[in-house]
Amino acid sequence: MQAQTRGFAQYFIDSSLGSNGALIVRERFEPRQIGSIVPPRTSKKNVQHRQLFEGITNANEIMRVSRQFTNVVACSPVLRGSLNARSGFENATVDLFGIEPALHLQTTDLAHQLVEGSLDDFRNRPESVIIGSRLANTLNIATGDSVQLLSPGGEYRRFNVAAVARSGVGAIDAVRVYCHARVAQTLLRKPYTASMIIYKLRDPDRAPALAAHFETLFQHGAASWQEREESTLHLFLTLQLSAAITVSLVILLAGFGIFNVLTMTVLSKIREIAILRSMGYRRRDISAIFIWQGALIATAGALIGCGAGALLTWGVSKIPIHLTGLLSTDHFVVTWDWRHYVWAILLAMVAVFLASYVPARRAALLPPVVTLRGSSV
Amino acid sequence: MIPGVSLSCEGIERYLGEDESRVHALRGVTLDVTPGSTHAVVGPSGCGKSTLLYILGLLDHPDAGSVMLGTEPASDLPDRELSRRRNEFIGFIFQFHFLLEDFSAHENVMIPMRKLGRLSAEEMTDRGAALLDAVGLGDRLQRPSRHLSGGEQQRVAIARALANDPRVILADEPTGNLDTMNSQRAFDLLQRLAHEGDKALFLVTHNPTIAEACDWIHEMKDGRIIGSHARGQRGPMNMKL
Repeated sequence: MQAQTRGFAQYFIDSSLGSNGALIVRERFEPRQIGSIVPPRTSKKNVQHRQLFEGITNANEIMRVSRQFTNVVACSPVLRGSLNARSGFENATVDLFGIEPALHLQTTDLAHQLVEGSLDDFRNRPESVIIGSRLANTLNIATGDSVQLLSPGGEYRRFNVAAVARSGVGAIDAVRVYCHARVAQTLLRKPYTASMIIYKLRDPDRAPALAAHFETLFQHGAASWQEREESTLHLFLTLQLSAAITVSLVILLAGFGIFNVLTMTVLSKIREIAILRSMGYRRRDISAIFIWQGALIATAGALIGCGAGALLTWGVSKIPIHLTGLLSTDHFVVTWDWRHYVWAILLAMVAVFLASYVPARRAALLPPVVTLRGSSV
Repeated sequence: MIPGVSLSCEGIERYLGEDESRVHALRGVTLDVTPGSTHAVVGPSGCGKSTLLYILGLLDHPDAGSVMLGTEPASDLPDRELSRRRNEFIGFIFQFHFLLEDFSAHENVMIPMRKLGRLSAEEMTDRGAALLDAVGLGDRLQRPSRHLSGGEQQRVAIARALANDPRVILADEPTGNLDTMNSQRAFDLLQRLAHEGDKALFLVTHNPTIAEACDWIHEMKDGRIIGSHARGQRGPMNMKL
């Protein structure tokens, strides 16, 4: 269960990082009070004092400095804007990404996201675009078709669809259009070549710290993927918590089952317990027998459970489903994490120990003479 | 150590049950059991014979009085020490054998030895086989105890009681579940082992033949020993009230 919920969460994270990077540097800002220390980015009160300047005019310089950081693998400028697209009778609002193909491919997984078409076609033809798979469906177009993008001036420009990409995140695939940066600059009529820089990081978990550092360093807004996807990550966290509670309840129920089995065993073995006590076995010896029995059950259960869990996880990952909502996938997404198994074993061991301790203690406290006297009548 | 005394008790009082069902089961019982002697306790049902046996066997605590194992007071010891003494010094035989049915005859005999832990695995195996051979079951070692006849099971129980070479053998109607022939065979075996091994045999029985064959007979009634007399003698002897 954890493998599934964690699997979908990880799939979303990987897809998001693969499309939008782990970190984004955005518009330049200046504090309204020149000369004052840049306020912490967590302070909303101080953020209101920022004066924002659209676009990034020194993208190359920022990228040059950024590459000095060991956590930065690659970075790529993007000129982003919103446009209307038209194909035949179909219209849609699109999120245009004007990119430098070479840099963008180093920074994102776009090359692996293509489901049809050719990257070379896009690279070699400035008047071509790559469009998201759901957008392609909406506009009812495919590779080789043409699509018209409406510039802010009100004129349509025709582009050839070089490829269709599927990131796996529905919100991206439904609106995303990639074109060449210079074409985007013309189309969007922007004086600058980049509205944001996206980063690929060695350790995406350290993105928030790096974003804070970049804000201070470059005086540009910066957002980590954790901040960018906060609401969706919270949703997955809630699902994982829910799954964890369900799993815990299942383990608790299993613990009750083992408790019942061992209690019944104790009740059915009171004569044997009395015999062993009469031969000199101590209370702790009797407890040890039942706790040992519980440990054997736990060990066998853990081994069988891990095997069955892995098998089921593999089986679930092969179940074909067609999701096109938040995530786009054609099969169940699972994650293989040894920690799930370690936690499951630990929880099972604790549950079985608790479940076997009470019957074991009960067995140890049974007065043997009552049983022997009762049996001899 | 009191010379020649394996087990003794003095002024044993025991109440059983609670509130209205509370019964004064033993009333000031005093008794000495010497090594190499056989003792039979007789009396009507409910007179306290088994209760006395369990108290002497350190399985039950007296409400008053004391039990001495040799010179050591034993009745007030903690459970850990009582268990150790039961394992080391006392062998129990019960009417219904009380073998562990899932175990073989050999394994049943080795259970007390495993707890005592004085012998190696090999020594335990050899001693278990020797004991079963001594009770005439040398060819039944690996047979599951549930597949043995009643007489054979009782003989396994006798071998088990002797596993740790105990000072005292306590038997609660050891022949009560056997036919006449097997009863006599089992008792003869116990008596021989007691005499030859210098062990004290203390048994509760309803069988007058077996009682008469013991060195001492203790008659109980209403929680008291009303008479103790040696074999062949009539009337109360060594009676301690």
